[in-house]
Amino acid sequence: MGDNLSDLSNSAIQEINECSSSSELESLRVKYLGKKGSVTAALKSLSKIDPKDRPAYGKRINEIKSMIKEKLSDRKASIKKKEINQSIEDKIIDVSLPGRENFHGHRHPVTKTLLEIEEIFFGAGFVVEDGPEIEDEYHNFTALNIPHNHPARAMHDTFYFNSEYLLRTHTSPIQIRSMEKDGVPIRVIAPGKVYRRDSDITHTPMFHQIEGLVIDKGINFSHLKGILHQFINTFFEEKSDVRFRPSYFPFTEPSAEVDILSKDKKWLEILGCGMVHPKVLENLGINTEIYSGYAFGMGVERLTMLKYGIKDIRSFYENDLNFLNQF
Amino acid sequence: MKLPVKWINESFKKDYSAIELSDLLTLSGIESEIEKDKGEAILDISLTPNRADCFSYKGIIQEISALDNSKIMNQAHPDPQIHHKEIMDVDVQSKEDCPVFMTRVIKSINKNAKTPKWLIKKLERSGYKSINAIVDIANFVMLETGQPLHTYDLRKIDRKIIVRRAKDKEYIDILDGSRKILGPNFLLIADTNKALGIAGIMGSLDSGISNETEDIVLESAYFNFETIMGRARSLSLHSEASMRFERGVDPRIQEYAIQRFTSLINQIAGGSNGPIHSSINKKGMPKNKFITLRKDKIKQILGITIPNQTIKNILNRLDMEIKEKDFGYIGWSVKAPSYRFDINEECDLIEEISRVFGFDQIPEKVEQQNMMLITKSSRQLKREKIDSIFHRIGYNEVVNYSFVSPSMNSLSNSNNDMIDLKNPISIEMSVMRNSLWPGLLNNLSHNIKRQHRNIKIFEVGKRFTSKMGRPLETNVIAGLIYGSRRLESWAYDRNALDFYDLKGHLEDLFSVFSLEQIKYEPVSHPMLCPGVAADIKLKNKNIGIIGMLNPELTNDMKLEQDPFVFEIDFDCLELPGLMSFSSSEYYPSSRRDLSFVLPSEGRISNVIEEIENLDINDLKEVIVFDLFDKKKGENTQKSISIGLIFQAKSRTLKDTEIDDFVSKVINMLEKEFQITIR
Repeated sequence: MGDNLSDLSNSAIQEINECSSSSELESLRVKYLGKKGSVTAALKSLSKIDPKDRPAYGKRINEIKSMIKEKLSDRKASIKKKEINQSIEDKIIDVSLPGRENFHGHRHPVTKTLLEIEEIFFGAGFVVEDGPEIEDEYHNFTALNIPHNHPARAMHDTFYFNSEYLLRTHTSPIQIRSMEKDGVPIRVIAPGKVYRRDSDITHTPMFHQIEGLVIDKGINFSHLKGILHQFINTFFEEKSDVRFRPSYFPFTEPSAEVDILSKDKKWLEILGCGMVHPKVLENLGINTEIYSGYAFGMGVERLTMLKYGIKDIRSFYENDLNFLNQF
Repeated sequence: MKLPVKWINESFKKDYSAIELSDLLTLSGIESEIEKDKGEAILDISLTPNRADCFSYKGIIQEISALDNSKIMNQAHPDPQIHHKEIMDVDVQSKEDCPVFMTRVIKSINKNAKTPKWLIKKLERSGYKSINAIVDIANFVMLETGQPLHTYDLRKIDRKIIVRRAKDKEYIDILDGSRKILGPNFLLIADTNKALGIAGIMGSLDSGISNETEDIVLESAYFNFETIMGRARSLSLHSEASMRFERGVDPRIQEYAIQRFTSLINQIAGGSNGPIHSSINKKGMPKNKFITLRKDKIKQILGITIPNQTIKNILNRLDMEIKEKDFGYIGWSVKAPSYRFDINEECDLIEEISRVFGFDQIPEKVEQQNMMLITKSSRQLKREKIDSIFHRIGYNEVVNYSFVSPSMNSLSNSNNDMIDLKNPISIEMSVMRNSLWPGLLNNLSHNIKRQHRNIKIFEVGKRFTSKMGRPLETNVIAGLIYGSRRLESWAYDRNALDFYDLKGHLEDLFSVFSLEQIKYEPVSHPMLCPGVAADIKLKNKNIGIIGMLNPELTNDMKLEQDPFVFEIDFDCLELPGLMSFSSSEYYPSSRRDLSFVLPSEGRISNVIEEIENLDINDLKEVIVFDLFDKKKGENTQKSISIGLIFQAKSRTLKDTEIDDFVSKVINMLEKEFQITIR
């Protein structure tokens, strides 16, 4: 009987060692330790053993049982490890291959600049207002102190539909409409498309403007200088030298052009501004003894060209993907 | 206007450099750039329309003198002698339009006299061509004094000069050879039987002087600038005279200009002078009034206090008359000189003070304002959402011109009246677009030529139509896709983008704006391919259109795939209101799949709609997960598999309940669509 137990133990150790998969290992467990397994059978046969040999025999079987258990568990661990290693090996890829790319679209540079400017002034409490692109004579000119036949109308080569309607030549009519709607005090930004009958390397017949207007008690020229210098520093992301140069617009007085000093020490004109002309305010029934205000306006394409070094204004309207993808 | 620096320096003791002058003028509102002409520095001066007074040598000298507080060295010109008594009879009928009209008859001018070199040089450096002595001197006097002069050949004038408004449709053949049709809003210089010139703008072809002219009538007039304003432009004319008259010429300089011309012509070409004949209507003369200038107002507008002495000094230098108002406590009463048409109210004076004082002397300040929190406008918020969706799907934004060609417009929307520009730049840009598609089509063609093979673009802009003669602007979003679904890569199949890709993009957009129950109904549109086009409807209202571009439009582009386009109303997208959270417990869902063949006339959307109409509460979703098109003779049969997903909110559904639901669906399908479930 003793030899039988040795055989059992030896064959179990050999089979466990030779086993190479978790499933085989499980059938070995059943073969030896299962309800009908050989170790279980040996324990059941204990009653047939001479009672005086029983304790030693029983002890032996139990030793074999726990030895097999231990072997199984060791083998299980090593097989598991091997199997994981194998599955890891199967997963190996070429990490250098390009990823599955998702192409993201871009804003048109004009929109990008418009929104940036809106954002900057939004931070200073300006509300964005909108208006029609087909305007009437009154809002585009007369209300802005540009009477019929005034030489200033020649500054705006206007597209007409008939004697009443035209394409707005600036976004200033939005400001008039805002004041008609909401009265004063007012603090608005008016972005949009404007149209002038002009077409060459520096002019397109349609372009974008953004204008600002503040009317309140105690607003004066030094505030205008202050906010515009801050705006320019913020927009161009660096401290710029600016100068305010007297100019003329029918709807502001005093009027100024604002120049910035370029890298090659040249003054570049970037926007127009001024204190709102009392006639414009009086047309709207605003008391100029109590209220005063400033207005400013800038060409979005021009600012975009200066900021990113774009040379030809016409590239904005070609919509070449190589151009658009850069913004 | 161009002026040589050397000439400017003739009037001053100081020798200004070109840069000094250019900075001095530019920084006080007279934009000047330096040019070189044969080694000589020239100031190229761009005047704003308000500064009529600077439109001459004399004006610029005055301005420099005021700005730099330097004295002008006046050269005295003795008045020329009078040799005979002949005058031209003048009848100013339109007195309001022409307050000053002076003439002088000068006879026996040496027609062979040559313009002296010094004068030609000054003219040429200032941008004028030398023509003959009479014309050169007239131009020179205009440049020097700002007063446009006109010279007539005495023999060509019939009896007298009449200044009157033109009659309706009265025409004149002007110097440049063209014929202009006038009307009563034009002022005319005429004789007893013909027009001699359009006042202040241009003379007639046959009344002017020639190289044979020896006897002339010289005209020096002041016209009311409102009579001249805009008239040249309305005739597409542009003359040195009209530019000056419409901005305003000094009403007190006409006599000086005549005398200056006479001296020069006598010096250069002799001639015998008649007396100056003047028609003056004092009532029509512009009068500069005294204007109240308050210290408080200066402070209100500029934000600084300028010392009284500085203010008075600036006004004095600008040749203004000053009276103290209440001993200078409130301010002053100020009158501008006759040549300053632009100074009419207090704000004009404040501008003058600020620009001479210097904008750089005004400090930058930060406004004090009452703090108020503001939110972005719904237009901004909508725009941000739209952009983020389209950018994420890979669309680049484009911006196109609002005007297109009439042929494109009639193609994109034939139902509407076109809005035509009266004065377009070209026929290709002559009507306002009634769709954004023509622009996108151009962008497609441009980028195909540049070898782009995947194009996804969108534009947010306005579409223009008209309603009962009034223009109507509609904000729309339009887009175009062309190429492969994914970028070319080892990792993807190269599937072409199709109708359902585009539809899916719009569904993304609609879901962000919580738009439900959007329907797509087949439609025909000239720009779209028949059978691949649909109206997009929200509650039976058309909100857009989607489809494949009609191959006829893209035939010349050598396309590898079909392009698809959409256009939808911007305003139909409303920001969803505040959402409310609904807490729900989870109960498992069950799915049942059905496969069937749909006869060719049936549409899948109808099938799904009818299933939804069964109002099965616990039917959570219907998905179409498999689809084959089978051609059978002329008809196409669609073999479809749909999945029905059931889930109750408060309990687990029983199998028997689900079986009931499914048989309800099957019964309906059999009845409504004659479908047999496989």
